[in-house]
Amino acid sequence: MLRLGRHEFADHATLMMAIVNRTPDSFYDKGATWAEDKAFDRVAQVVDEGAEIVDIGGIKAAPGVEIGIDEEISRVAGFVARVRAAHPGLVISVDTWRAEVGRVVCAEGADVLNDAWGGADPALVDAAAEFGAGLICTHTGGVTPRTRPYRIEYDDVVAAAIADTTSYAERAVAAGVPREGIVIDPAHDFGKNTFHSLELTRRLGEMTATGWPVLVSLSNKDFVGESLDLPVGERLTGTLAATAVCALAGARIYRVHEVTETRQVVDMVNTIAGRRLPQRAIRGLQ
Amino acid sequence: MTARRVALIPGAFALRAEYAGLEDPIPELRAAVHEVVDWLDEGAGSDGEIGVYCTGQQHGLASELLARHRRPVGTREETPIAVLAIANGTACRTEKAPGFFDPRAADFDAHLASALVLPDPTALANVDEVLAQELLADVEAIRSLGGEVLTAHHRATVRYSDDPYGVQYWVVTWEWEMPDGA
Repeated sequence: MLRLGRHEFADHATLMMAIVNRTPDSFYDKGATWAEDKAFDRVAQVVDEGAEIVDIGGIKAAPGVEIGIDEEISRVAGFVARVRAAHPGLVISVDTWRAEVGRVVCAEGADVLNDAWGGADPALVDAAAEFGAGLICTHTGGVTPRTRPYRIEYDDVVAAAIADTTSYAERAVAAGVPREGIVIDPAHDFGKNTFHSLELTRRLGEMTATGWPVLVSLSNKDFVGESLDLPVGERLTGTLAATAVCALAGARIYRVHEVTETRQVVDMVNTIAGRRLPQRAIRGLQ
Repeated sequence: MTARRVALIPGAFALRAEYAGLEDPIPELRAAVHEVVDWLDEGAGSDGEIGVYCTGQQHGLASELLARHRRPVGTREETPIAVLAIANGTACRTEKAPGFFDPRAADFDAHLASALVLPDPTALANVDEVLAQELLADVEAIRSLGGEVLTAHHRATVRYSDDPYGVQYWVVTWEWEMPDGA
């Protein structure tokens, strides 16, 4: 069983985590949901599309203007409360590496803390534990938050990702985070060049074999763009191809911009893999 | 002895558990089939057998349905007290049907339906096998019902009759009524 805050999911369930940015400058939507009402509309839309989780972020991942703790809280905390009130059945994740932010958003109703920067703030696990929240444990190779990778090398990027995320997960358990609420994420593109992200995709089965539920965040990322030489806005097909490979390897949660398309790919792959029944079969069976 | 309870169900593969999807494409048919198998089980009692008439291809469906009541598909008694027959009408009723549209299908099914409801054992025993084959109708068990099981003293109840995918399905039960003076 996977338990994300107050929400429980069966072991075989795959989940769509829709990205909702409370930023004026994120790479994909470029501030489309910076206005709170627009972000609120985006939540309603992805819920309609079947997303089980929204991942609300107040700071873009790329380098840029420094956003302090108070500013980050002002961008996300009130919004979390509003979404919580409007969508009680929705899992609310907040993308933050800061423990102070984590505590405030959990108090407002967040279910999951998505630590996209891999434990940069060691106290984040305590915030998750204090509120019984779920925790996404990512691998970044230890880079500083909001920095781009530069001449990073690994002896074995997959082994490094497994070692770092599982040790982070065990540290979280030791701190009191519910074991069934912990998810690991190889974090494509974070602390990695395109070759690293491709290898993680190709060998994702080694991560799922750890037994920890695996989240993948592939949506429109640079490793897709560089693989196909396509700019942001033209990477959906490549994203879905990577999604299919990860689905076949057994990834459980998909952090996405496009919910409907991703859900179809994940369901189709899991149906091919024999982990999911066809939705409705009658051909040749009349 | 005469069979007291007799039921006809179609041999739709979609009834089998191995072909289940997340949504049931035939919920009403499935409900009707389970209802009549329950009815047969009740009629057979703990000592009686449910005799099965079907082609070899439908043996799996029969086994699955009877297993719900922990009953095997046993050797048929001379005249079992309860009978389950698996057969259906044509599969050529629409352009989307497995056998495409055949204008002869509607008449064939209508005549067969009439004979089932009366019942007319002679007509059932003599269903045109060649035409049935051309129209993809599975009538082997219906012919057996006419020749070996049904009598003029069986009263029919049609519990389901439809062709949702261009195949004519019937769920029909017959109960034997003791003749006057018997």
